[in-house]
Formats: sequence, C-alpha cells, structure tokens
Amino acid sequence: MKKEIKITVCDAPETQNAVIMSFDGELDTAGAAKISESFLQIYNSTRNFCIADMSSVTLFSSAAMGELVRGRQNLIDKGGDLVFSGMSLEIRTKLNLMGASRIFRFYNNIRSALNAYKWEIEKNPEQVQLSFPSYLELVPPVRHLISRIARHKGYGMRDSFRIETIVDEVCNNAVEHGRQTSDSVINLDMKIDPQGVEFNITNQVDSEQLSTLKTVMKAESDSKPGVNEKRGRGLALIKMLSEEFSIDYSESITNVHVKKARRE
Amino acid sequence: MESQIELVYEDMHGKSNAKLIRFIGDLDATNVETVLEKVCNLFNDGFINLVADFKKLRYVNSTGLGILLHFSKSAKEKGGSFKIANVNENVYEIIEIIGATSLLEIYDDLDEAVAALK
Repeated sequence: MKKEIKITVCDAPETQNAVIMSFDGELDTAGAAKISESFLQIYNSTRNFCIADMSSVTLFSSAAMGELVRGRQNLIDKGGDLVFSGMSLEIRTKLNLMGASRIFRFYNNIRSALNAYKWEIEKNPEQVQLSFPSYLELVPPVRHLISRIARHKGYGMRDSFRIETIVDEVCNNAVEHGRQTSDSVINLDMKIDPQGVEFNITNQVDSEQLSTLKTVMKAESDSKPGVNEKRGRGLALIKMLSEEFSIDYSESITNVHVKKARRE
Repeated sequence: MESQIELVYEDMHGKSNAKLIRFIGDLDATNVETVLEKVCNLFNDGFINLVADFKKLRYVNSTGLGILLHFSKSAKEKGGSFKIANVNENVYEIIEIIGATSLLEIYDDLDEAVAALK
C-alpha cells in the first residue's frame, strides 16, 4: 500500500544553524512537491544547514532528487548546505547511479551528520581522554591511536605524523621521568578542532624525580641542547613541532601542555 | 607490545666488510636496545661499512635518532661508515629539526649510498 510522504522540519538540538528534515514514506513525484514547501520553512529562518534524514524513506524518485538539488543550492547560496543521513543501501545505490555522490554527502545516521556539522561549521573541538599505565610498551599504541584520530578528522599525513611524534616524545618522557611504581598512570587529554590540537599530559612523580627533572629542564632551557645530548633532543623536537609547550610541576604531578596548529 | 621493527641483512657484492641493512617498521624507545645490539654485533663481526635502507622505515623518534648517531660515530671510529638511503619525508623532517642532517650521511637512493662506499 502506497505510503504518502510525511516531512517534518525541526531545529537540530545544540546547534546554531542546523535543522533536521525528516522524511517518512515514498518520495515519488507527488511527494516531491511537498519538499519545496518544507524548504520554505528553512529559508524563512536563520538556519541554513539541513540534515535530510532518509531512514524512513521507501522510494526515491528523480523528481524528489531534483527538488533536493534545488533546495541544496538555495542553502548554499545562504552559506549553508544539505546532507543526507540514514539512507538505505538500495536507495543510495540508485542515487549514486544518478551521480548523487558527486553532489551530496552521505552519513550513516543523524548523529554522524551532526558531528560533521559541529566539526566543520561550528568548529567545535572534540575531546579524547586516555588513561594508561606508565609502561613504555603502551606508548606506541597510544601514539598510533592519536595519529589515526587526527587523520580521521581530516588532518594530513605530515601533520598526523608530527602529532604522533609529539605524543610519543611527551609520553616517553613521562614514563622515563615519572614515578616507577606499578600503579603509576599517564593521563592524556587531547582537544582537537579544525585549527589544531592541544594536549595536556599528566603523570605522577616523586619528589626526588621532580627535583632532578626541574634541574634537567632548567639546564635545557638555559642553553641550546646539543644534537648529541639524549635528553635535549626530545624536548627540542616537541618545541619545534608545536606552537606552545610548557611543563607545570606540583608536588607529585607533572603536567605537560602542548599546542600545535594545523599546517595541512 | 614493543613497536615492530625488522632488520633484513644483505651482503654487498665485492665488499667483504660491508652490509646492507633494510629497516622495516618503526624505530622508537621500545626497540632501540634490540636494534643497537644487532648493529653492534655487525660491527664486532667486522662489518664496518653499513648502508641502511630506510625505504620501509615509517617512523623514528629522538631515541631512535640517538642510536643512528651512535652508529655513525662508531663506524667512523672503526674506519668505516654508516650511510642512510631512502629516508621518507616525515622521518627526514625529524632528522632535520633535531639538526642531525649534517652528522648523518644521507643519500636519496640506495645506489648513491652504495657507490659512496670506499
């Protein structure tokens, strides 16, 4: 039995400019006519980014595609966009044959589309928090993970490599100069947005190590570390790869703060 | 869970005291001791001219760079050399930032590095 299309438009929660246009039923030629009416609702608002939720669409006609292409163009003219979410594989395959993938972006669900919007348009940072035992053998998988996250968020290969290097050097230092007990932990807090990444990496130290560390750090900041000096190389590398680098000491905690701007 | 690194050795035709070492993987703090031991064994066995092919070496950190500098120094002290070829741009940037490009013998390709052997 034919299911007439039902279209609802609502503001996407916790966003400034996004709306969710939900479709339920068959987007045949008759249903396509309702699309432009729904777009009017968006044009008359301040919002210009539309997530077209197709998870309940059972038929998608070329007439509907035409309306959505027109609607998208109008949103683009307003500085926005239209993306699809939740489309069935069958319909998506059909649309790809029409060349839709050259025009539209597709997301698995509304949440993915919203995350992409918040990242690209509102430039919202995303946060990663890791806590792991202070063992050298755990540093490589941590740095690989951070590097993959950067790549996933659109950072280039070179930048992801630099980020990986920063994490590696800071965490290696944390292991080497931190408290050497089985319960010692490294906490890594990363904020990433389209402009750059910011790390706060914290570990526990005992008072003797702290005193040694402060002496080493002071000597290194007072003079240019020679390339042949082991300790200096890692710090020099972090400084050169980042825009901000500082170490804060408290009684039993060392916090390394690094900020790196995106370069590619 | 140390980083994976593999060293593959090849003899060099006509050069009895030389060895080609292909580095495969990541060179970092978790495996430097292993690599150090292996290369020092080569020195001890009389192979004082070493050519390192970095074509499949994805990553080096400051600790790894430290042992590369050590190999270069040790080889020179023995009257030989430690040459590096096929460094990828990411690894080269790290070497450059640390200021080691003038201390290591780096060649664009393997043929150049081998030809430069005495």
